[in-house]
Amino acid sequence: MKFDNIIIGGGLSGLTCGIKLAEQGKKCAIVSSGQSAIHFFSGSFDLLGKANGEEVTNPLESMKSLPENHPYKRVGLDKIERLTNDALHLLVRSGLNLNGQADRNHYTLTPMGVMKPTWLTLSDFTSFDQKDSFPWKKAVILNFSGFLDFHTLFIKDGLKKFDVHAQIKTVSMKQFDAIRKNPSEMRSTNIAKEFDKENAIEEFAQKANVLSDGFDVVILPAVFGLFNKTIADKLKEKIEKPVLLLPAIPPSVPGIRTQITLRERFQELGGTYLLGDNVEEGVFENGRLLEIRTNNHGDIKFEADQFILASGSFYSKGIVATHDKLYEPIFGLDIDGDSNREKWFDEKIFNDQAFMHYGVKTDQKFRALMNGEPVENLYVAGSVLGGANPLKEGSGAGISLLTSLHAAEQILK
Amino acid sequence: MNKNRSKEYDVIIIGGGATGAGTARDCAMRGLSVLLVERHDFATGATGRNHGLLHSGARYAVTDHESAAECIEENMILRKIANHCIEENNGLFLTLPEDDIAFQSQFVDACSSAGISTEIIDPKLALRMEPSANPDIIGAVKVPDGSVDPFRLTMSNALDAKLKGADILTQHEVVDILKDQDRVNGVELFDHEKKEKAKYYGKIVCNAAGIWGHNIARFAGVNINMFPAKGSLLIFGHRVNKMVLNRCRKPANADILVPGDTICLIGTTSERIPIEEIDNMYVSKDDVDVLIREGVKLSPSLATTRILRAYAGVRPLVAADDDPSGRSISRGIVLMDHKERDGLEGFITITGGKLMTYRLMAEEATDLICKKLDVDKKCETANIPLPGSEKSDETLNNVSQKVYSINGITQKSAKDRHGSLAHKIAQGDENEDSMVCECEGVSIGEVKYAINELHVNNLIDLRRRTRVGMGTCQGELCACRAAGLLCESMEEPGKAKDDLANFLQERWKGMSPIAWGETINEIQFTSWIYEGIYGLKPDNN
Repeated sequence: MKFDNIIIGGGLSGLTCGIKLAEQGKKCAIVSSGQSAIHFFSGSFDLLGKANGEEVTNPLESMKSLPENHPYKRVGLDKIERLTNDALHLLVRSGLNLNGQADRNHYTLTPMGVMKPTWLTLSDFTSFDQKDSFPWKKAVILNFSGFLDFHTLFIKDGLKKFDVHAQIKTVSMKQFDAIRKNPSEMRSTNIAKEFDKENAIEEFAQKANVLSDGFDVVILPAVFGLFNKTIADKLKEKIEKPVLLLPAIPPSVPGIRTQITLRERFQELGGTYLLGDNVEEGVFENGRLLEIRTNNHGDIKFEADQFILASGSFYSKGIVATHDKLYEPIFGLDIDGDSNREKWFDEKIFNDQAFMHYGVKTDQKFRALMNGEPVENLYVAGSVLGGANPLKEGSGAGISLLTSLHAAEQILK
Repeated sequence: MNKNRSKEYDVIIIGGGATGAGTARDCAMRGLSVLLVERHDFATGATGRNHGLLHSGARYAVTDHESAAECIEENMILRKIANHCIEENNGLFLTLPEDDIAFQSQFVDACSSAGISTEIIDPKLALRMEPSANPDIIGAVKVPDGSVDPFRLTMSNALDAKLKGADILTQHEVVDILKDQDRVNGVELFDHEKKEKAKYYGKIVCNAAGIWGHNIARFAGVNINMFPAKGSLLIFGHRVNKMVLNRCRKPANADILVPGDTICLIGTTSERIPIEEIDNMYVSKDDVDVLIREGVKLSPSLATTRILRAYAGVRPLVAADDDPSGRSISRGIVLMDHKERDGLEGFITITGGKLMTYRLMAEEATDLICKKLDVDKKCETANIPLPGSEKSDETLNNVSQKVYSINGITQKSAKDRHGSLAHKIAQGDENEDSMVCECEGVSIGEVKYAINELHVNNLIDLRRRTRVGMGTCQGELCACRAAGLLCESMEEPGKAKDDLANFLQERWKGMSPIAWGETINEIQFTSWIYEGIYGLKPDNN
């Protein structure tokens, strides 16, 4: 099978890259091994939340202080602002409703009740302008009886800092009787599936309206709209008070919906999405990747002019660690990271962990290095790139979106 | 001030390990008024940091006849009194091609003279009995080894002591031993929860603090010549072996693989460390490499089995008084009457020994305490089962069938963990049956039972009682769920957030020495959830 471009990895960067290329008329395939980091999406795309230990207000400005090997710096700060606009528009064209801007972070409330700076937030969630004030005085936090993945007391405790009087109430719904019978089934996606059917939303809204009498805002777990893209809006219409959704323990319902939305966009543009397949090996010749072979397709080869590796970090298995080495498991590309495992970790879990910075080595054009030499037509994008600790910086989504757009532009040149 | 100040106990026991808890039980059973104090939580020292091996004694048969004989005797007693803490797995002593097969007959003879039953098994048959064993073995001997859960064992002793009237203070650290001239008459404690000091008085103070007993003795002004020996172990994420696997040779590094609950353990190394380091146990890269290399010889599949954690404990070895260099160290039980030894009345130390002999150590210590208090009562701990292990008219199965109607996994797990006490776990309504920890099958009901009845101060304690967070995810999802429940009972959410952060740090300590493969993936994911999405910080208050 022959494509113009083949993308390895179906997460945020793989999909972004695929959509961009497909929008420009390229015949693309994405090979995705399964779930991606979008499945534990908080509801916001971060660009840069922290730099040099300080909280960032203007990400575009603060990027200047990042180290030279940071992916943003390597893309080129002159291009970043344009790419942030492109990313936003690409996501909006795909059908996501987002709020936020690249030159000024806004804040979202975490499930610990802490305000966190971010770039783009799904319209399901509430964006705040200020980190030290909360627009409501009296909040009711509603949870479903038997749902353990939403921590109301932590939220209540966090809201104390804003002088908010919060009360926790529980809602019982007969629609959940069946899933509550099995003790491991009362999880966010199963609740969302019930609400997707639309017959539970009316009753829930009525209950919420009764329970929120006398309060200014209703706080709920973000378990609305898995496949049904309108249910979160319907809920907000039916509840008389403002609704503030907060993330629950993954899997993230808005995250899965986002993944589906982007995948559908890619497929509508004619892209081929191979789900549950793994790239096993590649055939190289004269510094070029000619073709790849996948697990599901046996001896059927996939050829392309350019390939993009967007296989993610450790948890996505884009990079693998053993007791004596780090490696890139598909092609054996060069790794930017220490081979001595004693150097990977800090003994304090909340400190900056060295392994978080590790990734595949590339040249200036983001082409993968193999034995020190660039592979002419293999680009690298997203969190499989090294050079940043996206967790500490609050830059994970930004790096994924911008490096994949950058890779797409290299290919489209 | 504290209401207990004016009360004088018959005995104050220092140390919430198996020995301390066992001594508290024994003393309480003999009618003494008892205070048990522990600076952290039950089983946080050497008790909770070993193989969890129910020794048959075979390991010591050739080199230490006395220890071997003690072990097999206590082994048989524990099967009776602590059945719910024990898995009767049996063990094999394997001879590898690199080992001397001649050792086998010497080993079998030594076992039989210590009273340990052995059976020489044809290697082919041994491999059928235990398919995970190294296929190259040239000899195998079956012995009555088993597995014991030291957390459960210690907790059962503490619970029983409490049922019989003992007072128990965890999170209370001894900061001084109180004396009146040549007589010890109490302890000064620092309460880590309330951050305040208080004095407690007793006729006898029993030092059962393991290696930390070195410092306790110093408070009393006496010197015990202790030599800390660090032993490191690895926990694997699956239970690859059904029987305990040992090397049939003189005891050496990393030659025992013990199955327990859902996992198996390889250990140990042995290394003398300075006394200053006993609170700072870390497992080095070399320790890990030795454990894997030797472990794979026992069971080759360990090479590809995920490692969950690495940890180390400190054996409290005591040198004879006339041997300050520690050259001829005993691994046996050491009971010191400081009246006889140092002219200090009211103070005794029970140390040395092994988890296997905790009950015997408790018996010997209690005998001495009774003698000093002039109490004439016989020890009954070898005959009366621990709570959770009692025989009843109904089989355990029937009890649990009755109390649980819905869920198989949590039902079985809870029964395994709490024995006949499982009926105390609330159930029946779906809220109580909901699963907190999916790896280990822990329900809300079980967590609540532990919080209400088993002295749980924080998430790390909860883990020791219920196995929350001990499975393959190492607390990735369940920690937050359990923190939520703990938070409800404490009504101090700020503290619960710190507790959650501490719990993740404690899990990380054991993961970082072996954090490659799935573990590095898991920790990255966990960090994204807690730090990335939740915004948890190391210090939330």
